[in-house]
Amino acid sequence: MATRMKLKLKTVFVLYFMVSLMGLVYALMQLGQRCDCTEHDMPKDRTISRLRGELHRLQEQMRKSEATKQPQKQPLKPTPLPIIYVITPTYARLVQKAELTRLSQTFLHVPQLHWIVVEDSPHKTPLVTDLLVKSGLTYTHLHMPTAKDRKMQEGDPSWLKPRGVEQRNEGLRWLREDRRAQPGGDNQQGVVYFADDDNTYSLQIFEEMRNTMRVSVWPVGLVGGMKYERPVVEGGKVVRFHTGWRPSRPFPLDMAGFAVSLKLVLTNAEACFDGEAPMGFLESSFLQGLVTMDELEPKADNCSKVLVWHTRTEKPKMKREEALQAQGLGSDPAVEV
Amino acid sequence: MPKRRDILAIVLIVLPWTLLITVWHQSAIAPLLAIRKACHHLVKEIFIIPERLAVRHHRLSDDGVERRREAGGQAQDSKEYCASDKDIVEVVRTEYVYTRPPPWSDVLPTIHIITPTYSRPVQKAELTRLANTFLHVPNLHWILVEDSQRRTPLVTRLLRETGLNYTHLNVETPRNYKLRGDTRDPRIPRGTMQRNLALRWLRETFNANSSQAGIVYFADDDNTYSLELFEEMRSTRKVSVWPVAFVGGLRYESPKVNAAGKVYGWKTVFDPHRPFAIDMAGFAINLRLILFKPQAYFKLRGVKGGYQESSLLRELVTLNDLEPKAANCTKILVWHTRTEKPVLVNEGKKGFTDPNVEI
Repeated sequence: MATRMKLKLKTVFVLYFMVSLMGLVYALMQLGQRCDCTEHDMPKDRTISRLRGELHRLQEQMRKSEATKQPQKQPLKPTPLPIIYVITPTYARLVQKAELTRLSQTFLHVPQLHWIVVEDSPHKTPLVTDLLVKSGLTYTHLHMPTAKDRKMQEGDPSWLKPRGVEQRNEGLRWLREDRRAQPGGDNQQGVVYFADDDNTYSLQIFEEMRNTMRVSVWPVGLVGGMKYERPVVEGGKVVRFHTGWRPSRPFPLDMAGFAVSLKLVLTNAEACFDGEAPMGFLESSFLQGLVTMDELEPKADNCSKVLVWHTRTEKPKMKREEALQAQGLGSDPAVEV
Repeated sequence: MPKRRDILAIVLIVLPWTLLITVWHQSAIAPLLAIRKACHHLVKEIFIIPERLAVRHHRLSDDGVERRREAGGQAQDSKEYCASDKDIVEVVRTEYVYTRPPPWSDVLPTIHIITPTYSRPVQKAELTRLANTFLHVPNLHWILVEDSQRRTPLVTRLLRETGLNYTHLNVETPRNYKLRGDTRDPRIPRGTMQRNLALRWLRETFNANSSQAGIVYFADDDNTYSLELFEEMRSTRKVSVWPVAFVGGLRYESPKVNAAGKVYGWKTVFDPHRPFAIDMAGFAINLRLILFKPQAYFKLRGVKGGYQESSLLRELVTLNDLEPKAANCTKILVWHTRTEKPVLVNEGKKGFTDPNVEI
């Protein structure tokens, strides 16, 4: 009995020893790792599980909306959507940052869009550089100063000299050079659109223009001294243009009223905007060599819907600012407006 | 042959140890791993999504900030998880950009945006580009109030097509004051009745005791808003303020903020001694404050030019309670742009274009 007891005791002790040893080893292992034991209390756990539930719900929603959308929106695979190259000339003035900001907010909704911003400046400004970086868009930042005699002066009315000519031509030049360097040459899918920074664009217009074969056209609101200007479509073809100002122009369109396919831009390497053209003939100077009226593709429901507006932004009144600056008390120029 | 007593003895000895170990294991290890994995995923997916808007500090709540720091500290451990999750993150990120509007979150306070609008040729254009901006902002509720006798089909259709979360109201400002030409009874400033109607709607719809967090912002339809502005105003506790560009004849007007981070004055030229020398686009109010003070409205009549904002704010808050945003009121996140009236000379008297085409 005694030996059995002794044995029992020994076993017990051995058992205790083994268990304690295991526990100790385990504790030692844990010491080596980072331990946030102090921070894990119930509220945090609750918030974590709530956020996790949140996350799953959001993902569910996205998956659901993805399922109802067309299958062509696959951002990871090479997408069949043609790229829209938007060429925007811009110049420094008070409202420039505001205009480019709201323009970028519109473009951010459009997939496969490449924004080509051309500044009217001898060098790239930090304002536009920072804005483009922060925008999250695919972009190209160029600059091309306008010749002094072509540049508009302070008091000039907006129609006096053509604006943005050198900048748009620079955009075209870059695009041609960049696309030439790509494999596939002239067989690339894409559309080129000239978007001024003060106009207003609905999201539908970009989907309308995406499948342009040659040159597509559509109505533009608030331009030409009228509520809208538009091409008149009969039998699916453009027969004439409905405009109140000089309808005898070859293409009485606004810059925002047409888009050209990339292929056409690349094959016609010489086509560009003519700064010497008479007022209102800027668009015609470009389109004349590219296409004839019956080849135009009408969009926006046979040119019956207005999807882009030629809005213009007022010049902000700076009377008090100028008065202050005369006294040397102007607002902090380091604050970017 | 082991006796029952011995077995009992062994069990009694071993049991406390096993209990100790299992309890310790459960409480220490599992949450640790869970936190690591959860933080990593949550940081990548919930926090990365708003970063798409180029916002550096996304504050969901105080817990959220701590979690981010935690996760940041463990980032080097979780890097090996990153590679496989990268594809998922990319898809989520791009999908978020094209999903209009972003999915509703239960955590973010809702921003109620009150916009008065009226019919004019540029109305549809203004509302379109405003909608394009708002479609990027999560948890946004747009309250559009028309200055009209009844809701116009143009606005109704536009709101429906955007897919935004909206409320469409209308109230007509009586025009007879303008015609009367009575200098002693000036006309009601534009937009006042519409904003008041929206405030009344909010008070009727939301219960003061509900936990639904909300921020109220007055956004005119011709201004320009950066996306960062909405994230700045989301953390408003009472009333927050920031600079506005192109108002008061200056490059920008801004509140004066002292070293303690409190507003003590207004950097304006036009009447800086107003109680609140700020533009309508320069402040946001917490919904709870609006519900708590149900008598606070914009004053309709007898308000001097530039005092309209003060007529509401002085009933809600004092200068001391204002919270400066936008890096202590040093960054411009909203511009008071105005759109030119389009020249429509070629329409002539009878109208040249088809009136059925909506612009």
